[in-house]
Amino acid sequence: MFGFILRRIFATIPVMGFVALFVFSLLYLAPGDPAAVIAGDQATPEDVARIRAGLGLDRPFLVRFFEWFFRVLQGDLGTSIFTGLPVSQMIAQRIEPTVSLMSVTLVLAISVAVPLGVIAAWKCDTWVDRVVMSLAVLGFSVPVFVVGYLLAYAFALQLDWLPVQGYTPIKNGILPWFENLILPAITLGFVYIALIARITRASMLEVLQQDYIRTARAKGVSQKSILFLHALKNAAIPIVTVIGIGMALLIGGAVVTESVFAIPGLGRLTVDAILRRDYPIIQGVVLMFSFVYVVINLIVDLIYTMLDPRIRY
Amino acid sequence: MDRRTFLKSAGTAALVASTGSLSAPALSQGANAKVLRFVPQANLANFDPIWGTQYVVRNAAALVWDTLYGVDENLVPRRQMVESEEVSADGLTWTFKLRPGLKFHDGEPVLAKDVVQSLKRWAARDPMGIMIVAQQQELTAVDDRTWKWVLKKPFPKMILALAKNNAPCSFIMPERIAQTDPFKQITEYIGSGPMKFNKGEWVPGAKAVFEKFDAYVPRSEKASWLAGGKNMLVNRIEWVIMPDPATAAAALQNGEVDWWETPIADLVPVLRRNANINVDISDPLGNIGSFRMNHLFPPFDNKMIRRAVLTAMNQEDYMRSIVGDDNKLWKSLPGFFTPDTPLYTEAGGEVLKQKNIELARKMIKDAGYKGEPVVCLVAQDQPNTKAMGDVTADLLKKIGLNVDFVATDWGTVGARRAQKTPPGQGGWNMFHTWHAGADCLNPSSYTAIRANGDKAWFGWPTSQPVEDAIVEWFDAKDIAGEKVAMDKLNKSALEDVVYAPTGFFMGYQAWRKNVTGVVKGPLPFFWNVAKA
Repeated sequence: MFGFILRRIFATIPVMGFVALFVFSLLYLAPGDPAAVIAGDQATPEDVARIRAGLGLDRPFLVRFFEWFFRVLQGDLGTSIFTGLPVSQMIAQRIEPTVSLMSVTLVLAISVAVPLGVIAAWKCDTWVDRVVMSLAVLGFSVPVFVVGYLLAYAFALQLDWLPVQGYTPIKNGILPWFENLILPAITLGFVYIALIARITRASMLEVLQQDYIRTARAKGVSQKSILFLHALKNAAIPIVTVIGIGMALLIGGAVVTESVFAIPGLGRLTVDAILRRDYPIIQGVVLMFSFVYVVINLIVDLIYTMLDPRIRY
Repeated sequence: MDRRTFLKSAGTAALVASTGSLSAPALSQGANAKVLRFVPQANLANFDPIWGTQYVVRNAAALVWDTLYGVDENLVPRRQMVESEEVSADGLTWTFKLRPGLKFHDGEPVLAKDVVQSLKRWAARDPMGIMIVAQQQELTAVDDRTWKWVLKKPFPKMILALAKNNAPCSFIMPERIAQTDPFKQITEYIGSGPMKFNKGEWVPGAKAVFEKFDAYVPRSEKASWLAGGKNMLVNRIEWVIMPDPATAAAALQNGEVDWWETPIADLVPVLRRNANINVDISDPLGNIGSFRMNHLFPPFDNKMIRRAVLTAMNQEDYMRSIVGDDNKLWKSLPGFFTPDTPLYTEAGGEVLKQKNIELARKMIKDAGYKGEPVVCLVAQDQPNTKAMGDVTADLLKKIGLNVDFVATDWGTVGARRAQKTPPGQGGWNMFHTWHAGADCLNPSSYTAIRANGDKAWFGWPTSQPVEDAIVEWFDAKDIAGEKVAMDKLNKSALEDVVYAPTGFFMGYQAWRKNVTGVVKGPLPFFWNVAKA
């Protein structure tokens, strides 16, 4: 197992290298010019050219790529073109809101979706199943920003229970921190709940047809034990897989959710950087997300071995 | 201890530990009243008002850096940091003196050497500054409070250049900071303005914080735009960046923010219905919509075809696409200059009143149009440019031009418009934008009106009559002379179609009723704004 983990960690190095080259090339080829944005609308072409030269954006692709790549190898993600601040500092400023949002969403989604999926499978083809699956379809169909606006309208503007926007760091108190995250987490979790609930139901339905479940029932084991102890554990592998894959969904959804609720997280940092062509930030954030995704996949693989001892790497 | 007991104990401990922070005290009412939360028009992504000339940077900079002069609401330059000025009889030597007691935020006094270095950095980037430097003999500090600017040729618009609120403004920085290359960004944000910038709390894209500078010495005159006494009645101003207008509207209604600089027209009725919110015009100088045609390549290298486009266009279509049905927000503009300002002129504007599609079609045919595609760049992420782009595409089709509509984003337009290559090789034929009315009062900072070919703004128009009229305006000794020059300029710029003005439009601002002192102006003025 330890060897497997080491191999997987080493395997991330070429993956990250490829991601770095891909992202850098993509940004190089993409149209847009940060110097033009900095110079402002009234700037002359000469001003724009001088700012571009000042930023080093007029140098050849390979020179820029290797300079950036060797800096990244030393842990330096570079400096934002616009703010002049180190990219690592800007990521550090934004990481807490995003991690908080994703953590609360993950907890909320799993704690709602898994029981819903189990119940839907248990009550298959009844009205309960249909209601749960209808909600799941709704979750897939309604765009994240629509959910966000509706929740903000109802719970912030009309009822005045929760704030419309913003983020309070956890150091300022758990309650204010949580208050700011409830609506965004429900918004972001909506589609995630739908996804996990559907997979849980499908996986549970398959397991509930197995002989050992019939045997357990014949032995008089309670329905609760059958569902949550015997069936759910055996149905868990696809669920864990989809939770892992769904992290990418969460990262994508966080971009919209953070914009709708004005949360100063990594999603908004990324969008702002893309719109302004702030290349070092885009490269830094994409590299970081790629690394996170590789790590999540590793964790998912490790969880497989805990859920199913037959799995060996 | 078994696993269950451990988990229970740990859970209880975590809960107990967290209760301390559950009851984190809220700000008291009094303290809260001293914090003004403001939603600016855009993200404050950098904070060097000379290096980056976006309006949002200028607006924030006006809090932190003071200027030598400031324009008041009547568009008249007034002394601000300057105590007195004197110009020699031959108009070649300007001698200025600073007000006593001015200090930078680091406690150092503001000295003439700081002013000299700041002016050097500003003059390297500003169009008027560049003109002054072209005639400069020397710019030196005479003593701690006095400096002189000696010219080879008189420059009657000197005070206007130092007072204007168009970016870049001549903000005064400490000498060591102003020594930074004007094409590189400063890293220290120390000014002598009424508010200090809190760099530690700056989260670009999310928040910028300004704190009252207690050692600031306001002028005794009544405040008027950038002139007069800049008295700060709040201790702290938080700029909360909200990219989503619906969120900003909801936050304002909920009292989470106090003032929103640019509510979009669609949300204004919702805000008006809220009894706690005031809505009013933000900037009476408004904006001038435009599309620029590339004078280097067919078909718009042909003046007849450019004139045909002006003949056909109906500015009302453009303006309604931006502001909707609100007639208070727009005006037709048969020219290039901001309406209701002293030098406004409609000379030569008849062409924009014709709205004659048939005549335009005939003109295009007579001009020998060969069916070349018109590469029309339209930024879809800017509501104004998207709206104008859709109207233009329809217009061009109606008059028989072959439109190649390129839907893209503003970042791409910004880069592509600088390309002088043919439209089929990465270049372009037209793009849409708009200019702040404050930049279009006269030719002093009006880059877009220049027609000096290669050195002109994107589109690179060439027109000697336009350039002659601009020189005439700069040389004019009085307002009558300026008006004559402006008439000539408007007429010749329309004759040669430097660009196509699509109309004049304004926007709203909205603030909560417990905030007082909000005024209309080309930028948000925070002095004398109080919060109950």
